[in-house]
Amino acid sequence: MPTFLQLTLDALTLGSVYALVALGYSLVYGVLKLLNFAHGDVVMVGSFIGYGALQALGGSANPAVPVWLLLVLITLAAMAGCAVLGVAIERCAYRPLRNAPRIVPLISALGVSFFLANSMQLLFGAQQRDYQSYLLSGGSLYFRGFDVDTVHVPLLRIITISSAFVLMVILWFMVNKTRTGRAMRATSFDGEAAAMMGIDVDRVIVFTFILGSALAGAAGVLLGLRIPTFTAIGFTLGLKGFTAAVIGGIGSIPGAMVGGLLLGAAESYTAGYWTTSWSDLVVFSILITFMIFRPQGLLGREDIRKV
Amino acid sequence: MSDLTPGDPNAPALPEAEGPAVGRDEWVARHGERRLARGGRLGEMEQRLRAVPWWAFLILFLAVASLMPAVEASGYVRRVGFDTAIFMLLALGLNVVVGWGGLLDLGYIAFFGIGAYAYAIFSSDKFGIHLPTIVAIPAITILGALIGLLVGLPSRRLSGDYLAIVTLFFLELFETVMLNGNQIFGHNITGGANGILNVDPLSFFGHTLPVQHQGIFAVSYYYVALAVFAVVFVALRFANLSRIGRSWRSLREDPLAAEVMGMPVNWLKLTAFATGAAVAALTGTIETSLTGSVFPLNFSPTVLITIYAMVILGGSGSQAGVVLGAILVNVLLQVLENPDQARVLFYLLIVVGVLAAFRLTRRLAVLAVETIVLGFVIHAIVSAVHPSWATEGHSGFSGLMSHWVLVPSTLTPWVGQVAYGVLIASVLGITLLRGWARVIALPPVLYLAAFVWENLMIPNPGPTRYIVLGLLLIVLVIARPNGLLGERRVEIV
Amino acid sequence: MKKGIGIALVALIATVAAASAQGAHRQLQAASAAGLSCKSTLEIPFVTPLTGGAGFLGQDQLTWAKYAVATLAPQMGLKIKLLQGDTPVEQGATPATTLAQKYIADPKVIAILGPSTSGAVAASSASYFQAHLAHVSPSATRTDLTYTVNGQREGTPAFFRDVPADNIQGPTDAAYMVKTLKVKKVVVFDFQEPYSQGLAAAVQSYLQAHNVTVIRQSAPNTTTDFSSYVTKVPNDADVVFFPTQQPPAAQTFAEQLVEQGKKAIMFSGDGSDTPAQYNKPGGYVSVFAPDISGIPADKDILAGWKKANPGKALDAFGPPTYGAVDILLTAIKNACTTGHGTVSRADVLHAVKHVKIANWILGGSFKFSTKTNDPLNAKFYIFQIQKDGSYKLVA
Repeated sequence: MPTFLQLTLDALTLGSVYALVALGYSLVYGVLKLLNFAHGDVVMVGSFIGYGALQALGGSANPAVPVWLLLVLITLAAMAGCAVLGVAIERCAYRPLRNAPRIVPLISALGVSFFLANSMQLLFGAQQRDYQSYLLSGGSLYFRGFDVDTVHVPLLRIITISSAFVLMVILWFMVNKTRTGRAMRATSFDGEAAAMMGIDVDRVIVFTFILGSALAGAAGVLLGLRIPTFTAIGFTLGLKGFTAAVIGGIGSIPGAMVGGLLLGAAESYTAGYWTTSWSDLVVFSILITFMIFRPQGLLGREDIRKV
Repeated sequence: MSDLTPGDPNAPALPEAEGPAVGRDEWVARHGERRLARGGRLGEMEQRLRAVPWWAFLILFLAVASLMPAVEASGYVRRVGFDTAIFMLLALGLNVVVGWGGLLDLGYIAFFGIGAYAYAIFSSDKFGIHLPTIVAIPAITILGALIGLLVGLPSRRLSGDYLAIVTLFFLELFETVMLNGNQIFGHNITGGANGILNVDPLSFFGHTLPVQHQGIFAVSYYYVALAVFAVVFVALRFANLSRIGRSWRSLREDPLAAEVMGMPVNWLKLTAFATGAAVAALTGTIETSLTGSVFPLNFSPTVLITIYAMVILGGSGSQAGVVLGAILVNVLLQVLENPDQARVLFYLLIVVGVLAAFRLTRRLAVLAVETIVLGFVIHAIVSAVHPSWATEGHSGFSGLMSHWVLVPSTLTPWVGQVAYGVLIASVLGITLLRGWARVIALPPVLYLAAFVWENLMIPNPGPTRYIVLGLLLIVLVIARPNGLLGERRVEIV
Repeated sequence: MKKGIGIALVALIATVAAASAQGAHRQLQAASAAGLSCKSTLEIPFVTPLTGGAGFLGQDQLTWAKYAVATLAPQMGLKIKLLQGDTPVEQGATPATTLAQKYIADPKVIAILGPSTSGAVAASSASYFQAHLAHVSPSATRTDLTYTVNGQREGTPAFFRDVPADNIQGPTDAAYMVKTLKVKKVVVFDFQEPYSQGLAAAVQSYLQAHNVTVIRQSAPNTTTDFSSYVTKVPNDADVVFFPTQQPPAAQTFAEQLVEQGKKAIMFSGDGSDTPAQYNKPGGYVSVFAPDISGIPADKDILAGWKKANPGKALDAFGPPTYGAVDILLTAIKNACTTGHGTVSRADVLHAVKHVKIANWILGGSFKFSTKTNDPLNAKFYIFQIQKDGSYKLVA
């Protein structure tokens, strides 16, 4: 019987990555009221950029720089690359549709998603890319770590969970303590009022996309470190991130974090204690029931419609 | 005062009235429409087209569609025609839910699957049940409607994005159940990943319609699909023109106002869901009767997105629009599979795009000349320096174009990748330029695009199809947000 | 007036429909009987997933197919054009049936390479059979495509494959586990798709017949993170049978087994045979052919392929594709000789059944079994992954 601790560790690992993806969704939804279906594919591009950076720095077998520096560098590369990608997507696919009915930018997002996933496949092929982090510094990422009871917590998972946590703290800081963050919150609360108060909404939106996409890039690298990546993961990841964001309350930043962790927990525990082939079913049923009884999510605002 | 009310010439003459007649002044009321209508010759044409009754278009369309097998005897074309008819039906159904009801249903394809699996279970060797078609199809349509009602129940408490996610969950649920359906309490109900095979073909009054003859798809199924399409189109049209259609419209435009006016909003949402689901289930039965098999992966999100693309591209809310969208997208995907046709399509798209962007102006002429000359110059230089980098074919359109575009005999991989990257960057850069700068910078970009298309994308039709579809979605949605034939705004709350 | 036009149009449609149905029928019969000149360019479509989750398999097979056509066709004096048909697994059976119609209608198509996936074969074999098109698959291994299982046989006599079926691989693997590894408890995985489910079922029944405890697990095919599944592997399990078609998934699973301190050894099927990607020492892989880099006769072929595809790794699915092209071209050549310069689809179909190839790329010579359309005397080889990541033949 799998131990509760092991499953909790799994939940935390999965959940922190989902939280990062969900944050990107929530941020963009907050300011644009748009469900950015291309977000999952930005994560995928991030994982590929990380892979490319890894190869450029010598590959897993013979890294040219110390391992910790290597990890930091590839994460930064992925974050920067995805930020640029996010800005480009916003400019080309979403900005012209600012005033269109809500479903139209959704379709544009789907088009971007198709374009990204298939362009990557055209350029780099459909096979899976493995970061081979086992090789990095002779397996120490897997062997070193500490033990809790009977469960071994390897260094790799510690890195994943703590990096995600650190990034979320930085994000919280940026959103709540800086001026641009305040402008972002104002725009997400009431876009028109914010514009009338002199906030440059365009710049705020670009800033939001930079933040969200950078997080996506980091999520991509964190994901790639543990499991192989390929061009088709975008849709499923986007779906999970979207789910996590909605459960936590879309538009709410702490909500996205909580939603991500909850989703990771739901997946992990149902797979562990129930049968694995029906775990998807159970997760979806739970989620549907949850949504019916609390549609605004855990930490979301109740939608009050004014006539 | 009577010259201000042109209206219907057969209407009884209005009695003279003192003072303004509130609510009867149609000409003034139509002011907004007149302002938005196009002027000039195009406007006249549009007015005349608008005067033609809708069923004339339908009959014309059916006539052309029916003639198609006579012109083209290949089983492939008929199969594509059948698939297009299926997609048109699905698009019509989705149009009811999204276009008329304003409900974002991301689980629509599950009803298609339910219809397909139900037909496979009840008319195949799987459990030995062989319901006759006359019984099976209406029963399954009703089953689809009932399940649509069930799935629509959460919509009472949810709206907009939340409804979207619940319906998406329902789709994933459906897929999981079908995929694992060979282990439900030890019984093999859905065949799991292997699906169900040997499903009965359609049979009417004891006369079975054979699916194929010598391996070639039988044309009778194409006509069955067309007939079903015609019936569904007409039925939905009448529904839209009736009271329920008007209620759906008001629900879509402003649900809160509708509720306040006393309309049974929940019931309306449910009926929209149920109708869409019924159409999808019906389509599922026909599709399965032809293919003779059903697999869980036939109903994946990719198909869902394709149908959404058809509906939005064509104009949600407009039946003719979604039909047009279905045809365009499906034909596009098929054409892109074939390298020669894809090449022609590409150049056609470039020409159309450039024409649409620049109209018939001096700039256009300069652009065209510049592009063509640039191409030949580069080709000449390269073939003088490195002949193997510019091979020339002889036959057909590809041979013609190979005198203009560079087609190296072997392409080192990184050249293609770098060219693609540079192309994307330069296209983004072009959008930043204006006026004559844009005209001057465009030809090299066009040449690069032709190079990338010829050498990287045509040899890989798989991802290229979806890249083109994705790009087309983005561009068309920006250029015409309401779709090709859509007139109404669709607002999802 | 408008009503009159409407009625007239409806009548017109009805007559045209009836007429076209008749005319097309006659036309079709004419098309399929004609023969083609052996000197003209003949077309062979390759039907395989080129996009989607299994796209990497098809793309890899495609490189070998292109290489085979480029090298073998000139040697045999044939002009062959290779077409590509994409059957992404996410879209189920529809692409396979649509492509079947397309190729049946194309008069220059003389035979089919593929379909690569068992599902696509099941969906389209009947159409190809009726059109007398031989289809040779390099990778569709589902048993009931050539055997009658539970009263049902999904493939038709026009279907051939040059790799053995699952019903041979399963018992071979299980026998090795029982006899050599002396297992007591085995965890058997499947990935909710036909390949692994067939293998898993075969292995499970053999093991249970020999008193081994079997624990079954099932993961979706797109799973890349196996942590929760690894958690459920008992600490005293000897072997995990992991028939994945994604070598990186096998690698990840192996690494996560180590991470969680489980002592079970991994045993995979031919789908994981890619030393470049799956090379965790200690695991076993069963393959339908010895590694072709160990076959001296294939040295030139391998060198040529590597030169044409720089940077690509050798894996399990490529060489059988080369072999399938070899079979088809040999059959066409033989049919051309007997037909004195003209060849038709039915001729090729007949010739494929009797093909004999002396220098078979997978070693030895090749012939189809007379009872089924599988290779004669097919067997599986078992490799163990060594400390340096290379595969060593052990059985």
